[in-house]
Amino acid sequence: MPAWLAVALARLRGLFAGRADDADFDEEVRSHLEMLVDEHLRRGVSMAEARRAARLAFGGSMQTLERHRENRSLPLVESTMQDVRYAGRSLVRYPTFSVVAIVTLAIGIGAGAAVLSFAGAVLLKPLPYARPQALVRIFETNPLKKWTRNVASPANYADWKSRNRSFTDVAAYEQFSNTGSGASDVFLTGLGEPQGLKSLGVSGNLFRALGRPPLLGRTFADEEELEGKSRVAVLSYGLWQSAFGGDPQIVGRQITLSGRTFEVVGVMPRDFFFPGRDVQIWLPFGYAPAVFQMVRRPHYLGVVARLRAGVTLAQARHDLDSVAAALEREYPDTNTQMGVRLEGFHDSLAYQSRPALLMLSGAVGLLFLVMCVNLANLQLGRGASRLRELAIRRAIGAGRGRLVRQLVTEGIVVSVIGGAVGLGLAAAGHSALIAFAASAVPLFADVALDRSVALIAAALTLAAPVVFAIVPALAGTNAVALTDRTDAGSRHTSTLRSTLVASEVALSLMLIVTALLLVRSLSRLQEVDPGFNPDHVAAFTIALPAARYPNGASKLAAFREIERRLTAVSGISAVGASSSIALRGYTWTGDATVEGRASTDYERELRHQSVLTGYFRTMGIRLLSGRLLDDHDVESQPPVTVVNKTLETQYFRGALAVGKRITFGRPQDNAPWVTIVGVVDDEKQDGLDRAPQPEVYSPVAQKMQNPMTFVLRVPGNPSSALAAARSEVHAVDKDLALTDVVTLSDLVHESTSDERFRTILLSGFAGVALFLAALGIYGVLAYWVTQRMRELGIRLALGAQGAAIFRTVVGEGMRPVAIGGAAGIAGAFAAGRLVKALLFGVEALDPFVYSSAIGVLALAAFLASALPALRATRVDPLVVLREE
Amino acid sequence: MSDSKADLLHGTLDLMVLQTLEVLGPLHGYGIARRIEQLSDDVLQLNQGTIYQSLMRLQQRRWISAAWGTSENNRKAKFYAITSAGKRQLASETRNWNRIAGVIGRLLRLSEP
Repeated sequence: MPAWLAVALARLRGLFAGRADDADFDEEVRSHLEMLVDEHLRRGVSMAEARRAARLAFGGSMQTLERHRENRSLPLVESTMQDVRYAGRSLVRYPTFSVVAIVTLAIGIGAGAAVLSFAGAVLLKPLPYARPQALVRIFETNPLKKWTRNVASPANYADWKSRNRSFTDVAAYEQFSNTGSGASDVFLTGLGEPQGLKSLGVSGNLFRALGRPPLLGRTFADEEELEGKSRVAVLSYGLWQSAFGGDPQIVGRQITLSGRTFEVVGVMPRDFFFPGRDVQIWLPFGYAPAVFQMVRRPHYLGVVARLRAGVTLAQARHDLDSVAAALEREYPDTNTQMGVRLEGFHDSLAYQSRPALLMLSGAVGLLFLVMCVNLANLQLGRGASRLRELAIRRAIGAGRGRLVRQLVTEGIVVSVIGGAVGLGLAAAGHSALIAFAASAVPLFADVALDRSVALIAAALTLAAPVVFAIVPALAGTNAVALTDRTDAGSRHTSTLRSTLVASEVALSLMLIVTALLLVRSLSRLQEVDPGFNPDHVAAFTIALPAARYPNGASKLAAFREIERRLTAVSGISAVGASSSIALRGYTWTGDATVEGRASTDYERELRHQSVLTGYFRTMGIRLLSGRLLDDHDVESQPPVTVVNKTLETQYFRGALAVGKRITFGRPQDNAPWVTIVGVVDDEKQDGLDRAPQPEVYSPVAQKMQNPMTFVLRVPGNPSSALAAARSEVHAVDKDLALTDVVTLSDLVHESTSDERFRTILLSGFAGVALFLAALGIYGVLAYWVTQRMRELGIRLALGAQGAAIFRTVVGEGMRPVAIGGAAGIAGAFAAGRLVKALLFGVEALDPFVYSSAIGVLALAAFLASALPALRATRVDPLVVLREE
Repeated sequence: MSDSKADLLHGTLDLMVLQTLEVLGPLHGYGIARRIEQLSDDVLQLNQGTIYQSLMRLQQRRWISAAWGTSENNRKAKFYAITSAGKRQLASETRNWNRIAGVIGRLLRLSEP
């Protein structure tokens, strides 16, 4: 064994030697001294003389012992352990402080670890692809249509792919809805009950672009994206396990999806997902080659590309900008002002969640700071009552550095206990938090409990004592000496405590203002009229498989039959259907020409939906002028349409829309004229916080769409009618499946759940911060009153009024509140600017919010000061003066 | 924790302790201190207490071992004995010492007029 290792081991062992070794060494020294005495006695001197000589020859035995102890083990570790033991004793000696401190830290660290690890999982955790940072999402932009991040048309995608010089691969996937990953439903049959699956149509090169090899088999080849070659499928690990029991022979197996046969060619690894965890199966597009050349109008492709090595995002932007400019020149019809937007792929996935998560992280940081400051304050208050103990320790030789170290060690001990409890809370509450936050968890995020929670908790545990232990320790030991244990020292700490209270107030005010802004924004959002009456309406979607319903007539017959049967069900008072349901999913868009406008002036991307005529009555959409669609509007009759209020306002600028004509096509397309027969109120399609867009409703009998979403108005509980509805649908065709079954009130509720989640969380943070600030004010003031007991007693004895005393004390308490409040307002201005993107219908500087926040804070501060102030007025002068 | 850089004085004292134990066999602290003082003709007057630092260092390096025993005067005392690792260390330290002493000696002779 090398000597240094032996020494290290010996010293480690020495840590535990302690008293036994002390006794051993004592005895050894004694025996040495006795031998020295013997030696001197032999020389014939007296006993006393011999003893003196022995001590002289040996040198200072205390020093020897001291040095022995130092060399025996690791002195720094040993004194730290001593401090830790001492800290433990002192925690037990002051149980109230300990409990308050540990609970505070547990909440601060637990909440911090939970929120920060959640945010980290969404914003930072790398995606399961090769070099994910080289993946880029490409959007279409168009100021004419207010598009900033739109899905792309197949032909634009194909041109980006062939003309760029920046990417190794440009791949695409179908995004037919705004919810989830945009995957569509297919039905897996032949394995017992038909099973609804989320499937995603992808380009042949998608998996190569992602750079992740499959677990089994292969992924797609480029040409498989074309029709005739596309009956192949790649399974997710989850689907492979759940539907096929992890069959190792799965590759090569034929499966039936919505009536068509596919061959399974591969299975992806367990941690793989694209673009969200909801997608269970990937299928190639199966387009005709012409789609990639001609189809520039419908936009439904999500585009993801991999940067060539050495190409930066800025260079790629520049490259694609010039491609887009060329396309604009070549296809003015479709591509006027059509630009591109490039985003890192991860950024694009986290786009929705980022602002809220950053805000929550900031808020939890503020809360954590408030907690630390509050503890610093408590610690100082305690420091004052411990001044005597510190003074004594100082007097018997402890250096200031040693005392600071002692206090900081105590802080760390408290923090470690609090941190452990907090981590426990975060871990125990993890699943509850995830359930609560479900709407805020993007489909790609992996928020499983992992070591990042522990790491963050550990970091916070170490950060906390920096604020709450070091500052008070420095201040508390600053003026400590036995002589000045009263005024000078404590006045110094009083100023510091007021400063701490002021900063608590400032931080809390920032949180309160932000929370109130969110609350007000949420209530504004919930007041929004969705344009329909969501109560007592259930909805489900039916897709008719093309194999059995080949043409419009057969589809219309099936939809009509389902409608007829549902209408006959007792307990269903109205039935309708639409090709796009409000607040969810995809809207169909197309060109439209308004009669009487210049031939070059036509509308692009007008939203249209096809409805069964009962739709308006079922949804409670108000008719504003003209008539609704009815059952006489069939294919043989002149084509008619109903438009919404926004369309009337925007297209006809105040003139009446009823009686006007439009076509669904460009002027040169010579599409048939359609007469507008009615105007209905705006239905919110994209979300309660979005302005409605122009929209037309066509009778499905004149303009077929598939799938259709049925809506049922039910006087009682809407879900109760669903069982009956299901059997009626199956009576029409037993292989039809009801998907996306919801009630509209749930849908409306769901559309604001994200907002509700962050509002509740932030309000909780603000409430805790406010409570802590009030506690801080109370603590400082209570101490102030105790210290001035004599002064107050004398003033009362001399005839001071209780009210005057009350005012003095409350005034004292309000001073840091006023200072902190002013700083807090400034901070809230800054915070308000940051959360602006999250607000709806309320300004970041809303005066009502600011005045309520200040009001709430002032009230809490007043209550916190009133208690000590009342005590001050009840001081009995006799008692106080006698005590002195 | 390099031993070769140890303080010269410490190193020297350690070397003398090892040498003493090598020559005299197991011995207690007093005996070692006395022996070193005698050998140096009482030129080296150490605080005998300092011998214990040296003994602790050598013990931690496992160059000597310690056990309680009884002295010639029938007193209970802790006896130290050199280990085989200690013997090897002593041999190599002695070689080093001689080499350096030789070099310095030559150097001093050369600079004589």
